[in-house]
Amino acid sequence: MKKSSKLIFQKYDTENLINRRAALVTIAKAGVFSVLVGRLAYLQIAENSNYKKLSDKNRITHRFLEPERGIIFDLQGRPMAINKQKYEIIIIKEETRDVEKSLVNLKSLLPHANIDIEKILKEVNSRNKFIPVGIIDDLTWEDFSKINVNIHKLEGIYPQIGFKRYYTQGESHSHLIGYVSPISKNEGESNPLSKLSTAKAGKIGVEKAKDAILRGKLGNKNIEVNASGREIRELDRVNSVQGNYIQLTIDSELQKFCYERLKGLSGSVSVINVKNGDFYALASSPSYDPNIFSKSISNETWENLLSDKYKPLINKSISNQYPPGSTIKPFVALAALESGVNHKETFFCDGKHLIEDTSLESGYKTFHCWKKEGHGNVDMTKAIKVSCDVYFYQIARRIGINKIAEVCKRYGLGEKVFKSLYEEKSGVVPNKQWKLENLGSRWMVGETLSAGIGQGYFLTTAAQLSLALAQLINNGMRLSPKLIYDNETSNIYNERIIADPKYLKIIKNALDEATNAPGGTSYRSRIIGKYKMAGKTGTSQVRAISIKEREEGLIKNKDLPWEKRDHGLFIGYGPTTDPKYAVSVIVEHGGSGSGSAAPIASDIFKYLFEKKLNLKRNEIFNV
Amino acid sequence: MFNQNNLYSSAFAKLQSINYPLLGLIISLFFVGLAALYSISNGDFNSWPLKHSQRFILGLIIFFLVIFFDLRLIFGYAYVIFFLSIISLVIIPFFGIESNGATRWINIAGISLQPSEFVKYTLILALAKYFHSINNDSSFIKTLIIPLIITIVPVLLVITQPDLGTALIILLGGISLFWISGLNYKYFILGVFSILCSLPVLWQYLKDYQKDRVLTFFNPERDPLGNGYHIMQSKIALGSGGIFGKGYMEGTQSHLNFLPEMQTDFIFTMLGEEFGFIGTLLLLLMYAALIMISIRLALKSRSLFSKYLSLGVCNVFFIYVFVNIGMVTGLLPVVGVPLPFISYGGSSMLAVMFGFGLLMNCYINRNIIIEKTNY
Repeated sequence: MKKSSKLIFQKYDTENLINRRAALVTIAKAGVFSVLVGRLAYLQIAENSNYKKLSDKNRITHRFLEPERGIIFDLQGRPMAINKQKYEIIIIKEETRDVEKSLVNLKSLLPHANIDIEKILKEVNSRNKFIPVGIIDDLTWEDFSKINVNIHKLEGIYPQIGFKRYYTQGESHSHLIGYVSPISKNEGESNPLSKLSTAKAGKIGVEKAKDAILRGKLGNKNIEVNASGREIRELDRVNSVQGNYIQLTIDSELQKFCYERLKGLSGSVSVINVKNGDFYALASSPSYDPNIFSKSISNETWENLLSDKYKPLINKSISNQYPPGSTIKPFVALAALESGVNHKETFFCDGKHLIEDTSLESGYKTFHCWKKEGHGNVDMTKAIKVSCDVYFYQIARRIGINKIAEVCKRYGLGEKVFKSLYEEKSGVVPNKQWKLENLGSRWMVGETLSAGIGQGYFLTTAAQLSLALAQLINNGMRLSPKLIYDNETSNIYNERIIADPKYLKIIKNALDEATNAPGGTSYRSRIIGKYKMAGKTGTSQVRAISIKEREEGLIKNKDLPWEKRDHGLFIGYGPTTDPKYAVSVIVEHGGSGSGSAAPIASDIFKYLFEKKLNLKRNEIFNV
Repeated sequence: MFNQNNLYSSAFAKLQSINYPLLGLIISLFFVGLAALYSISNGDFNSWPLKHSQRFILGLIIFFLVIFFDLRLIFGYAYVIFFLSIISLVIIPFFGIESNGATRWINIAGISLQPSEFVKYTLILALAKYFHSINNDSSFIKTLIIPLIITIVPVLLVITQPDLGTALIILLGGISLFWISGLNYKYFILGVFSILCSLPVLWQYLKDYQKDRVLTFFNPERDPLGNGYHIMQSKIALGSGGIFGKGYMEGTQSHLNFLPEMQTDFIFTMLGEEFGFIGTLLLLLMYAALIMISIRLALKSRSLFSKYLSLGVCNVFFIYVFVNIGMVTGLLPVVGVPLPFISYGGSSMLAVMFGFGLLMNCYINRNIIIEKTNY
């Protein structure tokens, strides 16, 4: 052994040595094989369930299925908001190794498409990695098939078929119905659809008010995908559930007529059934095309809509508040009757009314009638017919602001008409307490006079005015205003809100005279024929007229800049013999009620009398 | 000297003395590979399975050709054959075909061959002749210099291609022959020690992707979507196969393309997924049987050359199997070594048939005594 250790080769017995060394190698090999078997046993037996999960995670992908949104119908069952198929592309962070690379590849594939890589990256990183993020919302069929062919280059990117909302009525209904757009972060928590980045939610109008009903339920499916993400087959699925449909009380043809009639003007129209409180039209002008929101709209378009001085995005029938002006007079007269004022009692109008005011040098403050030379002796009927301001100054002063406010509120002024529309404003019916709470000062007598002719702090909306008139004309019976047929608002009141039905006769007679008797403020807009309308004009000032200006002569409205002209208002009902509808029209800065608003109301009534005398709901049974 | 009768009768005698269990195992392994490739190509025989079969038939022809050569002739030309294979390695940088950043192939008569696959066996051939021929009682260190040089040269040539996996197999195959030939064990201890010391230096010479693979081997999670991805997917495929597998042609990892290189280096994984632990165990047993039979046949030879050559071929084959399976099970870094007889790949198939041809030749001529020659 000693000798052999010095040798380079251990060679004392070649045969044995080779056998021994080969045996050692064989033992080593057997050892190695045992290790391999052990390793395989560990992977395939001990860790089997873990790897099975990982394998399933590899091949099975969970996808949410977008529900189809509920359809919105009009009174007659015409679909106004429907869903159209569209082709879209999404990306899922979890399923791509490099989001940016996939996006760059996509961009090079669709060079003309508007893909903001940075914006999408930000969106992708701000969400959970398994949530699909929309890249392109509405793709042409050509581009869609191009993506499908090149899908292997677009890791994590998937083309899919989705829905886009389509509004059949276009801009005439846009304020009312609203539109949908992607769910924002703060809406996300309460909206289960936010798990799907491509899902949309109503942003305004009925789409927002009834989003929970319209949105439906998410479906989901498990699909088997290959390594490049291509769908191989569907493993299981729970279908999405379409949202419930909604039927509105709106008659889309009437709504369209009203909108067309307002074209070129800034204003709104509200049409209500005086017998059941159903709103048949709520039009606002100018408007916008709601279908532009089904694609992502450019910043420029959005900015233009926002900065337009005619405010096309605002629903002027419920969200813009105006002093009611002389349209308040029938309700002030009603308050006077309730306070014991005899309608035959006359007041003398010499064109102005003075009240003491020690703060002024002259010791009194002058309130002017719109007619500088005055109306002479006026009773209640004449006062409404010719809209005499002096009469109402004196009446208002006698009965006080709180009585006026109480009656106005009873008829629905100063309160939201619809409970569900988020963008609706409530208006203001001022009284002493209101002023103290909101302005922190005491009520002044002069303010009662202003309120008596619908100026000052008074603010109403077109929808409120039409409802107030409808409740009066409906024999003073309270109405349940309705826009959407659903269970929530179906309560029918059987409550008389007029103190004495004989007052109604006086007011109706006065309104009839105002429209249909010569000298009435809306006489020029009267309807000659079997059916007639009756109503009250209103002109609400948007600026204070100085004493100096009054002395030098009033500037005519048409000589003023648009923003400073008076609003023109009109409220009316018809047919006079058996009233069915109440209409309110507001033309922003239209100059005067008789000149701008009454003719529109007249046209709407003519249309109603000719074509829509018996508007009835056409119920939807199967969708 | 060679009359026809003689030739036929000697050929017949040779065919008769072939070890058929070994050939049977080889053919069985080929069929396992064929079945695997048939599954991978989704039942399309005309793609990989057909080519694989053609290559195997070509491999069988080489196998029988090698058998019919006189062992003494092979012994006589051992260095020449080795030298030719080294030449083919040397010319690769000038005439080779590049693919995936490595130049490993040369084109001979329209067929792409990977000379490094053959060098594994020609090196064994040359070393077997050398160790057969030296004076084993030599106490001179210089007797080690020539075999070291003929081992190191192909290893270095292959590393530069770069192909770390094949270079390692060549090196380990060569070293195994140093061991078999009876080199004093203290040199192995010395060798292992010096390799450990030189590792930091060798690290510098590795290509970036090779460093990545080694680093990823030690920590597969460091890059789960890059280099770690392959080994992770391989382990998932094997592990999800369970005991009985997902069923033939039902592997989801393989058929949905999560598994990389599944027709070549990762074919074992694919079999493991579809046939489970039972399948992988059976396959390992087939390889073990093949190796055991090879060792038994090798030790029957009377000449040292035959023993060295047979055991060397057997060792190279074993290293192949071990490195490949070790790699796909995550025990070894991913170095790109095919699974013999099963992986899709022409050169490796032809080379391994060449190797077993040599082994079988030694067995058939086990009683021939080869004189020592001058090395």
